[in-house]
Amino acid sequence: MKRLAYFPGCAMKDQARADEAGTLHALALLGYEIAEIPRWNCCGTVYSLAQDDLMRHVGPVRNLVRVQGMGERRVLTLCAMCYGTLARSARFVQDPERLQRINAFMDTEDDFRGGIEVVHLLTLLRDEVGYEKLAARVKRSLDGLRIATYYGCVLLRPREFAVDDPDRPEVMERVVEALGGTPVAFPERTECCGAYLTVGRKDIVEERVERILRSARGGGADVVVTTCPLCQFNLAERRLPQAPSVPVLYLGQVLGWALGAEEPAIADLLAGRPGASEPVCSGGAR
Amino acid sequence: MNEVTVFIMGKGYRVPAGLTIMKAMEYAGYRLTRGCGCRGGYCGACATVYRLKGDYRLYADLACQTPVQDGMYIAQLPFTPAERPPYVLDELKPEGATLLALFPELARCVACNTCTKACPQKLEVMDAVQASLRGDIRQVAELTFDCVSCGLCTMRCPAEISHHHVWQLARRLNGAYLTPRAEHVQARVAEIAAGKFNGELDRLVRMTRDELVAAYKARQIEA
Amino acid sequence: MGTYPKEMQESIERVEATRPARLAAQPARLTLPEQEALLQGFHPDHRAEGKRKLRVGPSWGDPVPHELADLLEAYPLLDPGAVDVTKPDCDVDVLVVGGGGAGTVAALWAHRSGIPAERILIATKLRHGDSNSIMAQGGIQAADKPHDSPAIHYLDVLGGGHFTNDPRLVRALVEDAPEIIRWHEDLGVMYDKAPDGTMSTIHGGGTSRKRMHSAKDYTGLEILRVLRDEARSRGIPVLEFSPAVELLTDAHNQVVGAVLWNLETSEYTVVKAKATVLATGGWGRLHIQGFPTTNHYGATADGLVLAYRAGAKLRDLDAVQYHPTGAAYPDQLVGLLITEKVRGLDAQPLNRLGELFVHPLEPRDVESAAFIRECAPPEKGGRGLGVTTPTGMIGVWLDTPMVDMIHGKGTFQRALSSIYRMYVRFDIDPTKEPILVYPTLHYQNGGVVIDEHGWTGIAGLYAAGEVEGGVHGKNRLMGNSLLDYNVFGRRAGIAAAGWAKKAAPASPTLAHVERYVGELKAAGVPPTRRAPLLLPEYRGERALARMVDLL
Repeated sequence: MKRLAYFPGCAMKDQARADEAGTLHALALLGYEIAEIPRWNCCGTVYSLAQDDLMRHVGPVRNLVRVQGMGERRVLTLCAMCYGTLARSARFVQDPERLQRINAFMDTEDDFRGGIEVVHLLTLLRDEVGYEKLAARVKRSLDGLRIATYYGCVLLRPREFAVDDPDRPEVMERVVEALGGTPVAFPERTECCGAYLTVGRKDIVEERVERILRSARGGGADVVVTTCPLCQFNLAERRLPQAPSVPVLYLGQVLGWALGAEEPAIADLLAGRPGASEPVCSGGAR
Repeated sequence: MNEVTVFIMGKGYRVPAGLTIMKAMEYAGYRLTRGCGCRGGYCGACATVYRLKGDYRLYADLACQTPVQDGMYIAQLPFTPAERPPYVLDELKPEGATLLALFPELARCVACNTCTKACPQKLEVMDAVQASLRGDIRQVAELTFDCVSCGLCTMRCPAEISHHHVWQLARRLNGAYLTPRAEHVQARVAEIAAGKFNGELDRLVRMTRDELVAAYKARQIEA
Repeated sequence: MGTYPKEMQESIERVEATRPARLAAQPARLTLPEQEALLQGFHPDHRAEGKRKLRVGPSWGDPVPHELADLLEAYPLLDPGAVDVTKPDCDVDVLVVGGGGAGTVAALWAHRSGIPAERILIATKLRHGDSNSIMAQGGIQAADKPHDSPAIHYLDVLGGGHFTNDPRLVRALVEDAPEIIRWHEDLGVMYDKAPDGTMSTIHGGGTSRKRMHSAKDYTGLEILRVLRDEARSRGIPVLEFSPAVELLTDAHNQVVGAVLWNLETSEYTVVKAKATVLATGGWGRLHIQGFPTTNHYGATADGLVLAYRAGAKLRDLDAVQYHPTGAAYPDQLVGLLITEKVRGLDAQPLNRLGELFVHPLEPRDVESAAFIRECAPPEKGGRGLGVTTPTGMIGVWLDTPMVDMIHGKGTFQRALSSIYRMYVRFDIDPTKEPILVYPTLHYQNGGVVIDEHGWTGIAGLYAAGEVEGGVHGKNRLMGNSLLDYNVFGRRAGIAAAGWAKKAAPASPTLAHVERYVGELKAAGVPPTRRAPLLLPEYRGERALARMVDLL
């Protein structure tokens, strides 16, 4: 077993529980001992990450200090947002002067020494597990399920922290293939869903979600898969009546099911096609 | 007597060493109305901030529980303006979103941990804010059970959260909805309403002192 | 750790030496005659020089402690020329004087009985919730387990009170108890429970069943903050820092409100009310016989003074409750409460030699008398086996490490977190070392006479909580004060609402005060004495820790 520090983030303990459950099941089968960070706080994704505002990096860096306290050198995240936030802060304090200032402010914590690597589930599967080994562990093939792989923005932007080539990403497609699914052509896969505009400008999000879902349906998708709880929420909940009713699931649900976890949402999807009536929009399993 | 010098709101006084801040103020001649309550660390009335010579930190503690130190600069914070939104427990659901809906400022937390540093009860206040953010009501209730609502975290919070009101709501939601009811309590209430003990109590109320003494002596004591 | 001075450390070694044998044995309880002898010999109530007979008022001739007599035989604080009571500032249906447990419960039940929130007013001396109620640590009694019953609870209460209680009040107390617990559960009080919801209950001193319900050792705080939050939810108005300094009466000697005194602006507020509930708490801050106290800053017997002038009878005020376990070391903690729950969880009281000298859970007065006998010098009939601290305080050990040894590691910190926190601040770890204790002034056993509806016998005036008497007779058992304020707060609130609905319009006067002043003059009371006290006087040298005048 390979020990891996794990930062869940708030969503994994609330609306994205299914993502976490599926992923942790899969990672255990892939030989990982997942060690959740003691006393973690919100990654910081709700804060501005302006480069001159040190205060906004205190939250993310505190999580990295906890990883350091566990004696670990890297930390895994499942959520695209948490990944982006933690990775940006880890980089932000590579500057020695900023590091010194943030350590002076956090006078009740151990000094952060830097050098913690933030890892996303996708890069872990690609770079360490490998697609072949992943395919070899599949217990239930996705059986050609047509999957629209939705990246959204934060997995790929800004470029310094992208999990893959921001212009031509393929990691999610390769993972889906390894699990026996069929990635579909999906031109809008890296478009922004509208993110936090969902609070004040629902209309903008609704317009974008409709465009993204039409793109997915246009490629013949049975389901859209994402790693971001906010994208999941917007794609599932901000749909106008005329938007295509494609279900949206977390990558962890698909991954977990293929490696043997219980996941009724996918079983239903597979049972319901082809020829069955169009799948009902589930809004994702909760 | 061994004495120390303390500065109460900037004015110096010589007081005996070993006194609490509260008693030192009284020794100095203050008659407290605000800033003094149970005098035992339970009521949170005597929130106090202080600095020590040669130390940049602003310390926070309860005046009734903290001994004076030489050179201490003391100010009391006997009241904390804090917004408690109107709610009635019966109309709320014990869901994660409830806390954030009533206290949206929770989302302003930057995890600076100043609240935790300010807590005289040594609670993990920031962890409770974070648990509130992700809607973990039970954890909030457990982390904040020993809170005395002194308001020190609230006064120090850059996100301007009204902590003790959040905690109060979380604990009530936890107690009323997330904890199973005691069935034996319900059963006993029903028995009393049905008059099951009336005969025995009627008899006891009419007993003479001697009869009562005899009955008292005859009690079986549960081991 | 090991922060105790050397002489105390030597005694701790003896405590540790006797511990294995004590862990294996069961302590014996005293018989009733043995209890009586201890009380006669060593309880402070039996020191005749501590009391005198009242020379004025409805309870003329009754003995009460000098400290209380000085307040009952005192002239009004209020300056009649400075206030016109015929022009009220505020007119309500129900005025609740006191914002602790009893007052908050009374207001909530007056509201539930149909009085609109804006027709209720809670006036309180300090902040809403500032009270002894908030400080109660150990628990609340209710006979709600299958092998228990209200009748067994009844007998325990009466025996604890040496059969001096008012039977009607005790019956109300024990019969309402389970209903109160259920109400608390509805409101969201976090009682200690097993995972299936069964209440975790333990013994208190003098109980024959394990019926002490608790919320860690913050039971009083937890219950009161929930009640206060509920009052806020219901929009019940509260006037803080406004103690009542006098009741108002009309031509028929009915109570029709009160005059309040704004402690911060030094102004009077005249409140006219159809019904008034007195919920002002007890008397701990009178420091009777010089004892330190566990009580809240505001516990100055104001309600007794006000009610007495209006003609209410008092009872059992010759009986003072000294809690056996007040902290005796370090100096900063002297007098603070160490909950009886510590003994409920099997910690034993020991003398200097490490010997168990009394069953840990005798009724409070008996237990206190035993501690005093152990510490008193032989020339005063005592055993002289107390532990003396460097500043001359004396006490007996409470063997706190036994809690974890018997109930498992971590129990003390979980179940007694406030006590743990209190000592660790001073580098004493009660899970590893015993703590030193001595009796401390804790509770006003007696008070204003009421019936089972909280009515004082004076039209329009009700009383609930520590200010009233009769429920506990001459000695209250642990866990019955929280119960008392809930049961009688509720009953008084309901009765006050009922009276308010039918009361005729009245014209407020201070005629009863004028009459009382006449009595004081006739009795030759020195005109310098004023009451109510409102706040104790601790300025200057009085701030130093009080040393107990031992027997």
